[in-house]
Amino acid sequence: MSEKGKVVVVACAGMDKPLGSVASASVFEVVEKLRPQKSELVCIPPLLAGVSAQTELIKNLPIITVDGCAERCATKLIVKSGGKIRGRIFVPDSAKKHNLLPESASHLGPNGEKLAENIAEEIASMVDSLTQET
Amino acid sequence: MTLAKWKVGIVSCSGEEIPEGTISRIATRLVLEKLRPEETVTICLPLFLAGGEGERTFAKLFPTITVDGCEKGCAKIGTEKYSGKPFATVVVSDVLKKCPTLTLKSRDKLSAEEYEFAEKVAEEIAEKVDEALRRQNEQLRSEKH
Repeated sequence: MSEKGKVVVVACAGMDKPLGSVASASVFEVVEKLRPQKSELVCIPPLLAGVSAQTELIKNLPIITVDGCAERCATKLIVKSGGKIRGRIFVPDSAKKHNLLPESASHLGPNGEKLAENIAEEIASMVDSLTQET
Repeated sequence: MTLAKWKVGIVSCSGEEIPEGTISRIATRLVLEKLRPEETVTICLPLFLAGGEGERTFAKLFPTITVDGCEKGCAKIGTEKYSGKPFATVVVSDVLKKCPTLTLKSRDKLSAEEYEFAEKVAEEIAEKVDEALRRQNEQLRSEKH
Protein backbone atom coordinates (compact mmCIF):
# COMPACT_ATOMS: atom_id res chain seq x y z
CA MET A 1 0.00 0.00 0.00
CA SER A 2 1.30 3.45 -0.81
CA GLU A 3 1.82 6.12 1.82
CA LYS A 4 -1.24 7.81 0.34
CA GLY A 5 -3.64 5.25 1.81
CA LYS A 6 -2.25 5.61 5.31
CA VAL A 7 -3.18 7.49 8.45
CA VAL A 8 -0.65 8.91 10.89
CA VAL A 9 -1.23 8.23 14.57
CA VAL A 10 0.44 10.39 17.18
CA ALA A 11 0.31 9.88 20.94
CA CYS A 12 1.60 12.08 23.70
CA ALA A 13 4.62 10.47 25.32
CA GLY A 14 3.03 10.94 28.71
CA MET A 15 6.08 10.23 30.84
CA ASP A 16 4.59 11.66 33.99
CA LYS A 17 1.01 10.42 33.82
CA PRO A 18 -0.49 6.91 33.76
CA LEU A 19 -3.01 7.94 31.09
CA GLY A 20 -0.10 9.07 28.93
CA SER A 21 1.24 5.53 29.08
CA VAL A 22 -2.19 4.29 28.02
CA ALA A 23 -2.02 6.68 25.04
CA SER A 24 1.32 5.19 23.96
CA ALA A 25 0.17 1.60 24.49
CA SER A 26 -2.96 2.16 22.40
CA VAL A 27 -1.08 3.49 19.38
CA PHE A 28 1.42 0.62 19.51
CA GLU A 29 -1.54 -1.76 19.41
CA VAL A 30 -2.86 -0.04 16.27
CA VAL A 31 0.38 0.21 14.28
CA GLU A 32 1.74 -3.20 15.26
CA LYS A 33 -1.35 -5.39 15.52
CA LEU A 34 -4.66 -3.92 14.40
CA ARG A 35 -3.83 -1.81 11.32
CA PRO A 36 -0.13 -2.21 10.51
CA GLN A 37 -0.67 -1.67 6.78
CA LYS A 38 -2.86 1.39 7.12
CA SER A 39 -1.22 3.34 9.92
CA GLU A 40 2.07 5.04 10.59
CA LEU A 41 3.36 5.99 14.03
CA VAL A 42 5.02 9.38 14.24
CA CYS A 43 6.92 10.59 17.26
CA ILE A 44 6.35 14.29 17.99
CA PRO A 45 9.56 15.65 19.53
CA PRO A 46 11.62 15.16 16.32
CA LEU A 47 9.10 17.30 14.41
CA LEU A 48 9.59 20.16 16.85
CA ALA A 49 13.31 19.70 17.17
CA GLY A 50 13.50 19.97 13.37
CA VAL A 51 15.21 16.61 12.94
CA SER A 52 12.37 14.53 11.56
CA ALA A 53 12.18 12.84 8.21
CA GLN A 54 8.45 12.60 8.88
CA THR A 55 7.63 16.27 8.34
CA GLU A 56 6.25 15.61 4.84
CA LEU A 57 4.17 12.72 6.12
CA ILE A 58 2.59 15.00 8.72
CA LYS A 59 1.70 17.56 6.10
CA ASN A 60 0.27 15.12 3.56
CA LEU A 61 -1.59 12.43 5.49
CA PRO A 62 -4.62 12.57 7.80
CA ILE A 63 -3.66 12.44 11.47
CA ILE A 64 -5.25 11.00 14.61
CA THR A 65 -3.95 12.42 17.89
CA VAL A 66 -4.17 10.65 21.24
CA ASP A 67 -3.77 12.86 24.31
CA GLY A 68 -3.26 11.60 27.85
CA CYS A 69 -4.08 14.76 29.76
CA ALA A 70 -5.70 18.17 29.56
CA GLU A 71 -2.51 19.74 28.24
CA ARG A 72 -3.29 17.98 24.95
CA CYS A 73 0.34 18.17 23.83
CA ALA A 74 -0.03 15.78 20.89
CA THR A 75 -2.80 17.90 19.40
CA LYS A 76 -1.05 21.21 20.11
CA LEU A 77 2.25 20.07 18.64
CA ILE A 78 0.70 18.63 15.49
CA VAL A 79 -1.18 21.89 14.91
CA LYS A 80 2.11 23.74 15.42
CA SER A 81 3.77 21.43 12.87
CA GLY A 82 1.15 22.17 10.23
CA GLY A 83 -0.56 18.76 10.32
CA LYS A 84 -4.19 18.06 9.44
CA ILE A 85 -5.91 16.46 12.42
CA ARG A 86 -8.85 14.31 11.33
CA GLY A 87 -9.50 12.42 14.55
CA ARG A 88 -8.82 12.99 18.23
CA ILE A 89 -8.87 10.76 21.28
CA PHE A 90 -8.79 12.21 24.79
CA VAL A 91 -7.77 9.35 27.07
CA PRO A 92 -9.35 10.77 30.30
CA ASP A 93 -12.73 10.77 28.52
CA SER A 94 -12.21 7.19 27.34
CA ALA A 95 -11.24 6.17 30.88
CA LYS A 96 -14.53 7.60 32.18
CA LYS A 97 -16.53 6.04 29.36
CA HIS A 98 -15.12 2.55 29.96
CA ASN A 99 -14.70 2.99 33.72
CA LEU A 100 -11.14 1.69 33.54
CA LEU A 101 -8.00 3.15 35.08
CA PRO A 102 -4.34 2.06 34.82
CA GLU A 103 -2.40 1.17 37.96
CA SER A 104 0.60 3.42 37.28
CA ALA A 105 2.60 5.00 34.47
CA SER A 106 5.03 2.09 34.34
CA HIS A 107 2.59 -0.72 35.01
CA LEU A 108 -0.79 -0.41 33.33
CA GLY A 109 -2.26 -3.50 34.97
CA PRO A 110 -5.23 -5.42 33.56
CA ASN A 111 -7.59 -2.42 33.59
CA GLY A 112 -5.05 -0.14 31.95
CA GLU A 113 -4.29 -2.77 29.30
CA LYS A 114 -8.00 -3.20 28.64
CA LEU A 115 -8.45 0.56 28.36
CA ALA A 116 -5.56 0.75 25.85
CA GLU A 117 -7.18 -2.06 23.81
CA ASN A 118 -10.54 -0.28 23.77
CA ILE A 119 -8.93 2.95 22.63
CA ALA A 120 -6.92 1.07 20.01
CA GLU A 121 -10.17 -0.38 18.60
CA GLU A 122 -11.59 3.12 18.41
CA ILE A 123 -8.49 4.42 16.62
CA ALA A 124 -8.61 1.46 14.22
CA SER A 125 -12.22 2.34 13.29
CA MET A 126 -11.16 5.92 12.64
CA VAL A 127 -8.27 4.66 10.48
CA ASP A 128 -10.72 2.55 8.44
CA SER A 129 -13.06 5.52 7.89
CA LEU A 130 -10.24 7.84 6.91
CA THR A 131 -8.61 5.39 4.50
CA GLN A 132 -11.96 4.79 2.80
CA GLU A 133 -12.24 8.52 2.20
CA THR A 134 -8.83 8.77 0.46
CA MET B 1 13.34 28.89 56.36
CA THR B 2 12.98 25.69 54.37
CA LEU B 3 15.43 25.13 51.60
CA ALA B 4 14.17 23.26 48.56
CA LYS B 5 15.94 19.95 48.14
CA TRP B 6 17.97 19.70 44.97
CA LYS B 7 16.38 17.52 42.39
CA VAL B 8 17.55 16.40 39.00
CA GLY B 9 15.15 16.56 36.05
CA ILE B 10 15.23 13.64 33.64
CA VAL B 11 14.06 14.45 30.14
CA SER B 12 13.41 11.34 28.09
CA CYS B 13 12.68 11.32 24.37
CA SER B 14 9.27 9.96 23.39
CA GLY B 15 11.00 7.71 20.92
CA GLU B 16 7.91 5.80 19.87
CA GLU B 17 9.19 5.13 16.37
CA ILE B 18 12.14 3.01 17.45
CA PRO B 19 12.89 0.39 20.15
CA GLU B 20 15.68 2.58 21.56
CA GLY B 21 13.03 5.19 22.45
CA THR B 22 11.10 2.61 24.44
CA ILE B 23 14.31 1.77 26.29
CA SER B 24 14.75 5.51 27.05
CA ARG B 25 11.32 5.75 28.61
CA ILE B 26 11.56 2.53 30.61
CA ALA B 27 15.08 3.31 31.86
CA THR B 28 13.89 6.78 32.92
CA ARG B 29 10.97 5.28 34.83
CA LEU B 30 13.32 2.82 36.55
CA VAL B 31 15.43 5.73 37.80
CA LEU B 32 12.36 7.68 38.95
CA GLU B 33 10.63 4.79 40.66
CA LYS B 34 13.39 2.46 41.84
CA LEU B 35 16.93 3.77 41.66
CA ARG B 36 16.70 7.46 42.67
CA PRO B 37 13.05 8.23 43.56
CA GLU B 38 13.91 10.97 46.08
CA GLU B 39 16.41 12.74 43.90
CA THR B 40 14.71 12.87 40.51
CA VAL B 41 11.64 14.13 38.70
CA THR B 42 10.66 13.64 35.10
CA ILE B 43 10.05 16.42 32.64
CA CYS B 44 7.47 15.49 30.02
CA LEU B 45 9.16 16.32 26.71
CA PRO B 46 6.02 16.99 24.63
CA LEU B 47 4.70 19.32 27.36
CA PHE B 48 8.08 21.00 27.58
CA LEU B 49 8.09 21.53 23.79
CA ALA B 50 4.45 22.62 23.74
CA GLY B 51 5.29 25.51 26.08
CA GLY B 52 4.85 24.10 29.59
CA GLU B 53 6.17 26.97 31.73
CA GLY B 54 6.56 24.84 34.88
CA GLU B 55 8.72 22.34 32.99
CA ARG B 56 10.83 25.02 31.35
CA THR B 57 11.39 26.95 34.58
CA PHE B 58 12.36 23.79 36.44
CA ALA B 59 14.89 22.93 33.75
CA LYS B 60 16.40 26.41 34.00
CA LEU B 61 16.84 26.20 37.78
CA PHE B 62 17.74 22.56 38.33
CA PRO B 63 20.23 20.27 36.60
CA THR B 64 18.80 18.08 33.84
CA ILE B 65 19.84 14.81 32.26
CA THR B 66 18.53 14.10 28.79
CA VAL B 67 17.92 10.54 27.65
CA ASP B 68 17.69 10.10 23.90
CA GLY B 69 16.97 6.92 22.01
CA CYS B 70 19.03 7.85 18.99
CA GLU B 71 21.56 10.32 17.69
CA LYS B 72 18.83 12.75 16.57
CA GLY B 73 18.98 13.92 20.19
CA CYS B 74 15.50 15.48 20.38
CA ALA B 75 15.46 15.64 24.19
CA LYS B 76 18.88 17.33 24.24
CA ILE B 77 18.00 19.75 21.43
CA GLY B 78 14.66 20.66 23.05
CA THR B 79 16.24 21.20 26.48
CA GLU B 80 19.01 23.38 25.07
CA LYS B 81 16.52 25.39 23.04
CA TYR B 82 14.07 26.18 25.82
CA SER B 83 16.00 25.97 29.09
CA GLY B 84 19.76 25.56 28.79
CA LYS B 85 22.53 23.05 28.49
CA PRO B 86 21.73 19.74 30.21
CA PHE B 87 24.12 18.60 32.93
CA ALA B 88 24.59 15.29 31.13
CA THR B 89 23.21 13.31 28.23
CA VAL B 90 22.63 9.60 27.76
CA VAL B 91 22.11 8.21 24.26
CA VAL B 92 20.68 4.69 24.22
CA SER B 93 22.13 3.84 20.80
CA ASP B 94 25.61 4.64 22.20
CA VAL B 95 25.08 2.43 25.25
CA LEU B 96 23.88 -0.30 22.89
CA LYS B 97 27.27 -0.30 21.17
CA LYS B 98 28.70 -1.74 24.40
CA CYS B 99 26.39 -4.77 23.96
CA PRO B 100 27.23 -5.97 20.42
CA THR B 101 25.26 -9.20 20.70
CA LEU B 102 21.98 -7.48 21.61
CA THR B 103 19.47 -6.49 18.94
CA LEU B 104 16.51 -4.41 20.09
CA LYS B 105 13.19 -5.34 18.51
CA SER B 106 10.30 -4.24 20.73
CA ARG B 107 8.65 -0.86 20.65
CA ASP B 108 5.96 -1.93 23.08
CA LYS B 109 6.66 -4.74 25.55
CA LEU B 110 10.29 -5.56 26.20
CA SER B 111 11.77 -9.06 26.22
CA ALA B 112 13.71 -10.15 29.33
CA GLU B 113 16.97 -9.37 27.56
CA GLU B 114 15.77 -5.92 26.48
CA TYR B 115 14.53 -5.16 30.00
CA GLU B 116 17.94 -6.10 31.37
CA PHE B 117 19.46 -3.62 28.93
CA ALA B 118 16.99 -0.92 30.10
CA GLU B 119 18.23 -1.58 33.65
CA LYS B 120 21.80 -1.06 32.46
CA VAL B 121 20.82 2.28 30.85
CA ALA B 122 19.02 3.22 34.08
CA GLU B 123 22.22 2.56 36.05
CA GLU B 124 24.10 4.95 33.76
CA ILE B 125 21.45 7.62 34.28
CA ALA B 126 21.56 7.10 38.06
CA GLU B 127 25.35 7.55 38.06
CA LYS B 128 24.90 10.89 36.30
CA VAL B 129 22.22 11.90 38.82
CA ASP B 130 24.71 11.25 41.64
CA GLU B 131 27.35 13.26 39.83
CA ALA B 132 24.95 16.20 39.32
CA LEU B 133 24.01 16.23 43.01
CA ARG B 134 27.64 15.93 44.09
CA ARG B 135 28.46 18.92 41.89
CA GLN B 136 25.57 20.93 43.37
CA ASN B 137 26.70 20.17 46.92
CA GLU B 138 30.29 21.16 46.16
CA GLN B 139 29.05 24.41 44.68
CA LEU B 140 26.90 25.14 47.74
CA ARG B 141 29.82 24.42 50.06
CA SER B 142 32.15 26.70 48.14
CA GLU B 143 29.55 29.49 48.18
CA LYS B 144 29.27 29.22 51.98
CA HIS B 145 33.03 29.66 52.50
